Amino acid sequence: MTEEPYRWVEAIANRREYIEDQLARGSPIVLLNYADGLLLLTVSRETRKIFEIYDRIAFAALGHPADIERMRLAAIDLAHIEGFNRAVADVALRRLVNFGLSPALKTAFEQVFNAPFIVKMVLAELGDDADRDVIVKLDYDGSYGRSEIEMREPFDVVAGTRPAEKAMLQYLIEHNGNSKRSLDDALRLAARTWAVGMQIAERGKQEDEREAKLPEDFDPVRHLRDHLKTRHVEAAVLDRTQTASAKFRLLDEKEIRAALKDL
Amino acid sequence: MMDPIPAGGDFLTVLKAHGYELAPRLAAVAGSVQPTHATTVLAIKYKDGVLVAGDRRATAGNFVMYERAEKLLNIDSRSILAIAGVPAVAFEMARVLEHSFKYYQRSQLQEMSTAGKVRSLSKLLKENLPLTLQGVGTVVPIFSTYDEAGKVFFYDALGAQFESADFAASGSGSLAVRSVLHYLNSWGPKPLAKLSEEEVTVIALRALDTAASSDTATSGYNAKTNVFPNVRAITKDGIHEIAEADLAKLYRSEV
Repeated sequence: MTEEPYRWVEAIANRREYIEDQLARGSPIVLLNYADGLLLLTVSRETRKIFEIYDRIAFAALGHPADIERMRLAAIDLAHIEGFNRAVADVALRRLVNFGLSPALKTAFEQVFNAPFIVKMVLAELGDDADRDVIVKLDYDGSYGRSEIEMREPFDVVAGTRPAEKAMLQYLIEHNGNSKRSLDDALRLAARTWAVGMQIAERGKQEDEREAKLPEDFDPVRHLRDHLKTRHVEAAVLDRTQTASAKFRLLDEKEIRAALKDL
Repeated sequence: MMDPIPAGGDFLTVLKAHGYELAPRLAAVAGSVQPTHATTVLAIKYKDGVLVAGDRRATAGNFVMYERAEKLLNIDSRSILAIAGVPAVAFEMARVLEHSFKYYQRSQLQEMSTAGKVRSLSKLLKENLPLTLQGVGTVVPIFSTYDEAGKVFFYDALGAQFESADFAASGSGSLAVRSVLHYLNSWGPKPLAKLSEEEVTVIALRALDTAASSDTATSGYNAKTNVFPNVRAITKDGIHEIAEADLAKLYRSEV
């Protein structure tokens, strides 16, 4: 079938639709800057979604757990080989994505007789100072651009649908306030932003993206609390104040619960 | 049939898949190479954990290669590899180990057990067999870590691992060091395991000085160049270095 170009294009389009259907209701991820570094937050049922890749690089994804796992291990392998062969300072997120992960994803996506990766990721690299932090969003087809709005901000979001991402970004921009916020403040803002994204992602894929409006009386805190009856908040930081060369730290339940007590 | 599921978590396997080789098999015995050797290192269990020390001299035959060699290599936040033997190979092993532990922890989402870490080093020594047999890359390390209590493991050049009860020493000056430590542990004022950090530091400095007095490949404290041995402690809080200022004071009053 792929001898005929138009059928290949059709196959790719079908594939896209299939993957986006699978991803649509996934739990969103918020990446938010705070005084000492970057915070990653999501709400998950069982499997972990936020991981350490290297000393200064973190990874969070939504999608099929097995595909998340494959991408995570590929990133860890590449980063550690580079760190071993050269130096810790040579492990750079942009190179990892541009030359490693992205081409692999694109190849898998375009080989229409093999299964594609059902995964959507955000990766962050902590710089020596906030201006040098790097954020990369990586999609199932290997594309890794951030939108123009996203590029202006030191934060970002990933959700199953575009309208959900849009609503989250808008919420973040409106409530951004102080970029020197404490970790607790960042946790609260990120958790509310997650609820905004989930509210819209829950509706799944929609015909008309403009329809994706939050209900007038929408209360992100109440929505979050509903979800937390069966799920838990998962969060990790890349913390510039850590003295060890590894800056990643998974936040423990107690720490998260204490911060989210009064949302 | 399904492909075998990879066991995962082993960094050396990943490296090898990318063409890495720790110890290349040489075609002929490299008789013309006089490899550099790092000399005396020791580890002593004391009250709060393990004290690890090493002199700073590296030699090639009777030539002093370097007077500021670092023979204590931090592998993770609570493990130190003290090396005697050929630094070229030892540093490489330390590098593989450091990345192996990090890689395991990140890919498998749990820390490697102490037994697993000890075994990793043993496997590296075995990998190094070709260089060991040809006499150009022998490494005889001491691995010290803290896992509920201080622990010290020493190895032979082929990779056999042994756990020390009280102390370990390796390198050309180790015979003198072991004699001193054995004597003190058995008939000294108190056993080594009861000593405070300062007391055990004094013992370590004296032991290195004793080794330097009979072994030309070991340097004691060199007043002219002001180079001190490396001394580090591993306790339940992690690794800390005994500062040169403190060592200088102890040298003046105790050694």
